[in-house]
Amino acid sequence: MAHASGRTRGESGNPIIRLQGVHKVYDAGENAVHALRGIDLDVEAAEYMAIMGPSGSGKSTLMHILGCLDVPTEGEYLLDTTPVSKMSSRELARIRNRKVGFVFQSFNLLPRATTLRNVELPMLYAGIGRGERRERAQEALQRVGLADRARHLPAQLSGGQRQRAAIARALVNSPSILLADEPTGNLDTRTGQELLSIFDELHAQGHTVILVTHDTNVAAHARRVLHIVDGLVEADQTRVVEAEGAVA
Amino acid sequence: MTIHESVLDGLADVRTHKLRTLLQTLGVVLGVASLVAVQGLVDAGRRQTLDFWSQTGGLTKLLIVNRPPKETRITARQLASRSLTWEDAQAIKREVPWARLVDPIASTRLPVRYGDYQKARDISAATPDYPSVYRFYPARGRFLTQDDLESQSRVVVLGDTAARTYFGNEDPMGKTLYIGDVGFTVVGVMKRKEFYFNDEDRNALEWMNRQTFIPLTSLYARFTGDASQRVNYINVVVDKAENNRKATEEARGILLRRHGGVADFEVVNRGDRLAHAEEQGRVFDLTFLVTGIVSLVVGGIVIMNIMLASFQERVREVGVRKAIGARGTDIAIQFLVESILVTCIGGALGLALGVGFAKGITALLGEPAIITAKMAVVGVVASVATGLFFGMYPAFKAARLSPVEALRYE
Repeated sequence: MAHASGRTRGESGNPIIRLQGVHKVYDAGENAVHALRGIDLDVEAAEYMAIMGPSGSGKSTLMHILGCLDVPTEGEYLLDTTPVSKMSSRELARIRNRKVGFVFQSFNLLPRATTLRNVELPMLYAGIGRGERRERAQEALQRVGLADRARHLPAQLSGGQRQRAAIARALVNSPSILLADEPTGNLDTRTGQELLSIFDELHAQGHTVILVTHDTNVAAHARRVLHIVDGLVEADQTRVVEAEGAVA
Repeated sequence: MTIHESVLDGLADVRTHKLRTLLQTLGVVLGVASLVAVQGLVDAGRRQTLDFWSQTGGLTKLLIVNRPPKETRITARQLASRSLTWEDAQAIKREVPWARLVDPIASTRLPVRYGDYQKARDISAATPDYPSVYRFYPARGRFLTQDDLESQSRVVVLGDTAARTYFGNEDPMGKTLYIGDVGFTVVGVMKRKEFYFNDEDRNALEWMNRQTFIPLTSLYARFTGDASQRVNYINVVVDKAENNRKATEEARGILLRRHGGVADFEVVNRGDRLAHAEEQGRVFDLTFLVTGIVSLVVGGIVIMNIMLASFQERVREVGVRKAIGARGTDIAIQFLVESILVTCIGGALGLALGVGFAKGITALLGEPAIITAKMAVVGVVASVATGLFFGMYPAFKAARLSPVEALRYE
């Protein structure tokens, strides 16, 4: 039902994500931690991929690099054919703002801002005018089924609602990829399932979705599963097309 | 993120942290308040001094007074000098082109009599320029004229208080007032002159109202028989302030020449006194500026402290904002706007409090205080500067946080 893809570079035309020999070393010196030891990875547009691995394997580090929250110590990262590794923090901020949507395990909504304001925030940093901001934020909330919670503060929302607000925020600038770091980690199973169905839908609508998880049930939603161990890709499996019908 | 949006965010933050904001602003409030209140009092004082001066001859007045030599052994030359005379005054009027008004005054104590009233009084022997020098004009009748001076007439002009003292409720105009044994006709009564300093209810210019004026020449001819026609002092009013210094030098030269090189006089230049007063004023200003700055610095440190203390709880927020696309600049601006907002609130409160202080002092002590637009501007600028300066460190610290580390922060 699944086969090791063994993708090699050049197989596809323009992958949306291309990592070439990416290393990440923290705290250079005596106690250097080699979190990533040479990752090669291509992700095509509209793929649905899960990154799995034991804790300390480097999957979060990989996620941060994919999300441009961090830069590789060594190696090349092409996001939508743009080389990101050597970018200034200012350029990275722009990429995070427009090309990447990030969903966190702990939601990371601003506690004192309303749901609507939270969703508007990326557009604020993109310099989008008030009217359009309102409209698009409302639209994004509608997509995740939170239109009636726009004026609520995060504290007045349930966990699932908060995560849905976070997804709306991640989507609002129409990013090329949607990254989710253990998005269901703080939710009960049922709410988690509801949330995953949102990701499924987004994928069905053509979004590139990458999520980090240690839960095989969560990973099962993705067609492709990347296993990271000790900072290296241990396995890269893509399920055959027939399996997709079973999931969807 | 626009400044406008940052301000809105900042306001929301201020609203949710009322106590924190209050504590933050306290230093700035008190700093600005004391700055405003003290400056108001100082400005009011300075304005009064200037008012008083303009009431008594303005800034272009030179006062020439006798100053007898201090030495115990007086030279023959010094002995020969006759002190200031009417001739000196006339020479100055002739020879100093910038002298607009020259007013020599001789004062002598003489018995004054009208009806039951009889008492020794100071008689001011003056010239027609006197009213213009002091901006002191007759309410009724006229002042002494050139004719009076030339004909040594027996006319007298009275200050308001003097008129009342001598004549009670009677109309003094045209009445004969005896000075010594000479009858003088009252030809004018001056307007009342009043000036009240600060808390005093004493009229600082009451001495003018008490005066009894006769022509300078009449004093010499009818009483002193002084052939050298000495005067007590000479007021000289210069056409404009720029010529003060020149006129002073020239008057000094003329007098030295006329006094055989003996400097038994002194020329006091109001312009110089103003410069001196301004100098002192600057020292005051500097003192207040320093105290003001010190309190603002203290206020600023309080703000920075509280910002840094609350920084911990905001690291995550910074991480989130960065993760969704905030640049370092956006974060720095957000923090700066917030600290400026806080100091501006402090500045506004301080301004209000300062005005309150000034009003309170005025009410309690009778010290007038003036609040000028300048001070409001200074208060606001000082607050913004404080906010900007002390917000800088937390702002840049926040701006430089790496998004990953900020997000990991618990």
